[in-house]
Amino acid sequence: MSFGSAYLTLPDFEYVKPKSLQEALQFIDQHKDEAEILAGGVGLFAFMKERLVEPRWVVDIKAIKELQTLRDDGSKGLTIGAAVNMNQLLDFAPIKEKYKALHDCVSLLSDPLLRNRSTIIGDICEALPYVDGPTPLLIFDTEVEAASVKGTRRIPMNEFIKGVAENALEPNELAVAVHLKPPPENSKSLFLKHTSSSEFSIVNVAVLCANPSRPEARTVRFAYGAIAPIPKRVHEVEDLFKRKTPVPKLIDEAIESIKKSAEPMTDVLAKAEYRSHMLEVLAVRAFRRLLGS
Amino acid sequence: MTQVISIKVNGVDRKVTIKDNELLLDVIRDKIGVKSVKAGCWRGECGLCTVLLDGKPVKSCLVLAVEADSREVKTAEGLAPEGQLSPLQKIFVEKAAMQCGFCTPSFVLTAHYLLSVNPNPTESEIIDYLSGHICRCGTYEQIIEAILDYAKQHKQTEKATAQKAK
Repeated sequence: MSFGSAYLTLPDFEYVKPKSLQEALQFIDQHKDEAEILAGGVGLFAFMKERLVEPRWVVDIKAIKELQTLRDDGSKGLTIGAAVNMNQLLDFAPIKEKYKALHDCVSLLSDPLLRNRSTIIGDICEALPYVDGPTPLLIFDTEVEAASVKGTRRIPMNEFIKGVAENALEPNELAVAVHLKPPPENSKSLFLKHTSSSEFSIVNVAVLCANPSRPEARTVRFAYGAIAPIPKRVHEVEDLFKRKTPVPKLIDEAIESIKKSAEPMTDVLAKAEYRSHMLEVLAVRAFRRLLGS
Repeated sequence: MTQVISIKVNGVDRKVTIKDNELLLDVIRDKIGVKSVKAGCWRGECGLCTVLLDGKPVKSCLVLAVEADSREVKTAEGLAPEGQLSPLQKIFVEKAAMQCGFCTPSFVLTAHYLLSVNPNPTESEIIDYLSGHICRCGTYEQIIEAILDYAKQHKQTEKATAQKAK
């Protein structure tokens, strides 16, 4: 390399490219924390250049067939494998039709070139507060499928992120897929975000709504992220919207409830007060759009 | 670890000895000698290091050289035969869609890909598709104009060919 600065080069490691899932799981089981998973590499290489991560092994999972799954099983839901990149998600018609909040979210991520590499599972595994992926997944009752040599287990999305850069995976586990449950009939969903000047999210929201004009049949789901280390689905809001009260009043009450549940943080991107304010702005905007008031 | 990889660069098969931690960007520039691929930010923000990997644009500062083993890389040099310009490159020149020219090869490559999948992009589609590229001279207006112009000319040529065929 020409300049020899830590900022530009990657630290030394050995590259392995398992051909089967079994091979990959055995390798990870053997090397655990010494191995980092490479899917899109967008996050991994950035951290490695900064020497925040210095793995002995980099395990490229893109050649593994099982991880390239992208499948809509209708009433059984949607499966996205760990090696599926963001542009593949955008090109997949069922996501645009039924999982619109996810489509919105992905279409706003970084840029079209990086989206040829980055993956939604990489996004959630990174588990940094400003990643957007988890928020839309929360409103589709997503489960993360984790595999190890001992077998597989499913981790609900709302238990997957444990803190800043901490996820629920064991060192010998690989997140192989996410499973989204099908949205309710006739539902619509959307995703909104507000970013800092550096394009990192400081607030994002995902809302789903079915039957907006019939209170007894109305379904509303709401999740937010990026305002604190752990993104959250606000279940309190969901019962509230079943009442016959006029919608504008319900939105006011929902905002109150959302703000009560949120613990916005202050960090280098934004102050807690600003995050709290923008959470309200985005939530109101999203509710109004889907509930039509 | 050191290993030998085979990459097809602009139609030519190359064998290169690389280390596992080398970036595609550095190997293309320093070992293969293709200099239209520029190094700007090294962190996926500026888009100057864009190459077409198996036909799709990626930022080569975030791709390992070893990942390109047995695959095809295309750069601005590969868009037209040696010494010639592609029609899109010609329009970039006509429209003066550059000032210092440092970012131009990367814009041309991404525009080339965009036009191949969407021959008639709107202005906002172009802006969206080029959002991963930075031009520090700020020639965006002319770049967008060049791409729109290419699409328009291309459509007319197609129409004319279709009429002739009739």
